[in-house]
Amino acid sequence: MLSRVVFVSGMRSRGPYMLGTGLILYMLSKEIYVINHETIAALTIGAIAVYGIKKFGPDVAAFADKLNEEKVAQFQEVKDHAMSSLVQAIENEKKEQWRVDGRSMLFDAKRNNVAMMLETNYRERLHMVTNEVKRRLDYQIALQNLHRRMELEHMVNWVEKSVISSISPQQEKESIAKCITDLKALAKTTQAKATA
Amino acid sequence: MMVNSFSQFESPVFLTIPLILLALILPWAFYPSPSPRWLSNRTLTLQNWFIGRFAKQLLASSTPKVHLWATLLVSLMLYIISLNLLGMLPYTFTPTTQLSMNMGLAVPLWLATVLVGFRNQPTLSLAHLLPEGTPTLLVPVLIIIETISLLIRPFALGVRLTANLTAGHLLIQLIATATLAFMSIMPAIATLTSILLLLLTLLEIAVAMIQAYVFVLLLSLYLQENS
Repeated sequence: MLSRVVFVSGMRSRGPYMLGTGLILYMLSKEIYVINHETIAALTIGAIAVYGIKKFGPDVAAFADKLNEEKVAQFQEVKDHAMSSLVQAIENEKKEQWRVDGRSMLFDAKRNNVAMMLETNYRERLHMVTNEVKRRLDYQIALQNLHRRMELEHMVNWVEKSVISSISPQQEKESIAKCITDLKALAKTTQAKATA
Repeated sequence: MMVNSFSQFESPVFLTIPLILLALILPWAFYPSPSPRWLSNRTLTLQNWFIGRFAKQLLASSTPKVHLWATLLVSLMLYIISLNLLGMLPYTFTPTTQLSMNMGLAVPLWLATVLVGFRNQPTLSLAHLLPEGTPTLLVPVLIIIETISLLIRPFALGVRLTANLTAGHLLIQLIATATLAFMSIMPAIATLTSILLLLLTLLEIAVAMIQAYVFVLLLSLYLQENS
């Protein structure tokens, strides 16, 4: 209250200090307060107290403030962590939504893949079937060719045998003599052609 | 008015009204009241920090059963330390200089630790009367010695606190009287004695805090022994 009178008035008035000094001097001079050993003890304690507060006061205050700051910082950290994890959750959710949107494209691609696989499989089987049919038909052709050749050979052999058996020995001698005279005539003509 | 050096330790009376109750309750006025706020002012923050540190340090190495005594021990410590430090101020009365008060604190608490020990684990409490590894010849002698040391504990607790504080206050009074007496005769010696008084006051402040701590520490040790 007194300090408000001193400071709020705008200038440091000397009233309270005059009152204090006057009281002390009055009590001392009238021996209302007697100086005894307790005064000396009071002066000592007062000096120690003033020195202690002046020296360690700001540090202690800063320490108390630091304790409060740490408390606040702890809870602030919890709050920040919670907020950041929620933001992260939102981002994850958005990504999941984007993934779901792309799901139809995935299905299209898969469907195309499956169709292609089916087509390939069908073509392979078709090819295999064609090959097998061709092989069977080739076999039949070869069989028929074999039959015809064997028939031809057999016929030729039979014809030869019958011709050879139909030739009599007389005819054979005659034909051989004819061949020899033909050959001699031929040799003569060629000789004549050569010398000419 | 000083009749003898010990008159400063007389129980205070004002117009035949004993003021001892006021002296005992006074420290309560100097402690900050707990506030419902989460972040409190500096005094309360420092008090809470101090109480937390002290309780943790005192009871860190003890079982949860001992932790039930935490409130009692911490409040005892705060009470004794505030009584001692307030007694450092001039013209104050320190209740802990009275042997009656200190015995009133020490005997019931010590007896409580002993009875708790005998009630919960009588064999172990009795076994404490014989330290491990004593030769067989010394066993009877040692049991007697340990019993005596057990029974003397409350007296030691009370008298230690009383004697330390009384001696301190007495010394301060004597040296202050000496300083006052020398101030008019030989101011140089007065300066010396005032320096001595300064150092002694510093020591007394330390002793005030240490003795309170020692009191509570020993009690907690007796408790841990017996729990």
